Amino acid sequence: MSQVASAAPPVREAGVDRFVVGLALLGMVVLGGLIYLETAPFLLALFAIGGLLGVALYHGAFGFTAGWRNLVTKKRGAGMRAQLLLFALTALIMVPLLGSGRENMIGAVAPVGTSLVVGSFLFGIGMQLGGGCGSGTLFTVGAGNLRMLVTLLFFIIGAVIGSIHLPWWLDLPAVDPISLIDSVGVTGAIAVQWLGLGAVTLWVNRIERRAHGEIEHGELRLLPAEGRAWRALFTGRWPFLWATLVLAVGNALTLLIGGSPWGITFAFNLWGAKALQAVGIDMGQFEFWNWAYPAQALSDSVLVNIPSVMNFGLLLGAMLAAGMASRFNEASRQKPQGRPFLAAVVGGLLLGYGARLGFGCNIGALFSGLASASVHAWVWFACAFAGSLVGIRLRPWFRLAN
Amino acid sequence: MSDAYKRHRIVGILLAILVLILVDHLNSPTFAFNMGDGRAKTTLMQRDASACAPCGAPCPSTRE
Repeated sequence: MSQVASAAPPVREAGVDRFVVGLALLGMVVLGGLIYLETAPFLLALFAIGGLLGVALYHGAFGFTAGWRNLVTKKRGAGMRAQLLLFALTALIMVPLLGSGRENMIGAVAPVGTSLVVGSFLFGIGMQLGGGCGSGTLFTVGAGNLRMLVTLLFFIIGAVIGSIHLPWWLDLPAVDPISLIDSVGVTGAIAVQWLGLGAVTLWVNRIERRAHGEIEHGELRLLPAEGRAWRALFTGRWPFLWATLVLAVGNALTLLIGGSPWGITFAFNLWGAKALQAVGIDMGQFEFWNWAYPAQALSDSVLVNIPSVMNFGLLLGAMLAAGMASRFNEASRQKPQGRPFLAAVVGGLLLGYGARLGFGCNIGALFSGLASASVHAWVWFACAFAGSLVGIRLRPWFRLAN
Repeated sequence: MSDAYKRHRIVGILLAILVLILVDHLNSPTFAFNMGDGRAKTTLMQRDASACAPCGAPCPSTRE
């Protein structure tokens, strides 16, 4: 199955961790209260959605990185199929919304060119070395994983470097965004997306069947593998299908409430840039930070930046879920050191730099891009998967298990 | 089973994050506006409709 193995081992060993759960709930109340008092109700709603997504990612152990790796190394495709199902379901919900012509609603579309190809390829390598993608890094940090905290720190550094370099990359050959909704209409866009995702599913099935003679359809399980459903709802582990539904609805709600689909990595850029500004570096000297959206975000509070607010919610949601599962910080009993530590540093830098050049991570570029019927998401998918193959081959040198 | 973490460290990290968020917010136009400064330019809805990517990047066709 597709799991961020270090975040959520399968069996719960003890009762609820009341300290962690209490702290996560307190954090939600304090930050949620601050957002409500100082900004606007729609940002509070997005903060809550972020929290729900964090719970779903943790309890569903919904990791893109391990899903891809399992297909390559173990020839098991349940994780990949769960992701493909997620993309198909979300496209079915979001493409009609985006095609309805409502004002103040923008899909996750981006240019197709050199920057995208290089960025997504680097991101794919970084996924396997860093141990997670955009969402995977964030929810494992929320669950107290120290190695992933290192990855996140260097993710932020890489993203800021990427933002400084992005204008140069944009001057290399590229074409403007290609939206299938504009090209072939709503029905056509959904049909093309489903055909593409169906073709990838057949390819995944073929790999699994050739290796094992049969296919394990873990992604279609309705009820948890162990224990009662109501108990699993609070303490995990969720079947993939539950997480898929929450992630799909969560992204659609983000689009409806925030005006654009779910994204994660812009916030990392912003946090890094704000840190540099705080120590006296003028980010205005870099072209990226003069573009309208980055400039607006840099000049105002993180509490009015949608990706930041949702990331805060996601971190606390994952912390809450880890506390409910009594597994907070469990993956950090062995402190990261040596080559695994180096892998977190290198992986984090590649993730950040790649995400900026590739116009987002597995969430902003891949998930939201496919749900917006943007061609760039397919290019991102192919190049990141190719990079991931390189990363998987590099993992043994960094003493990371495949 | 022993805890895999030290409680004071978790509280300390969360407090540090909260302080950073507060410092950033207290120095922002949104806070100034909330405090009655009508000239402060808040950006409650941060968006650039002319951008070609979620990060606000311009379209390749507009690059000189």
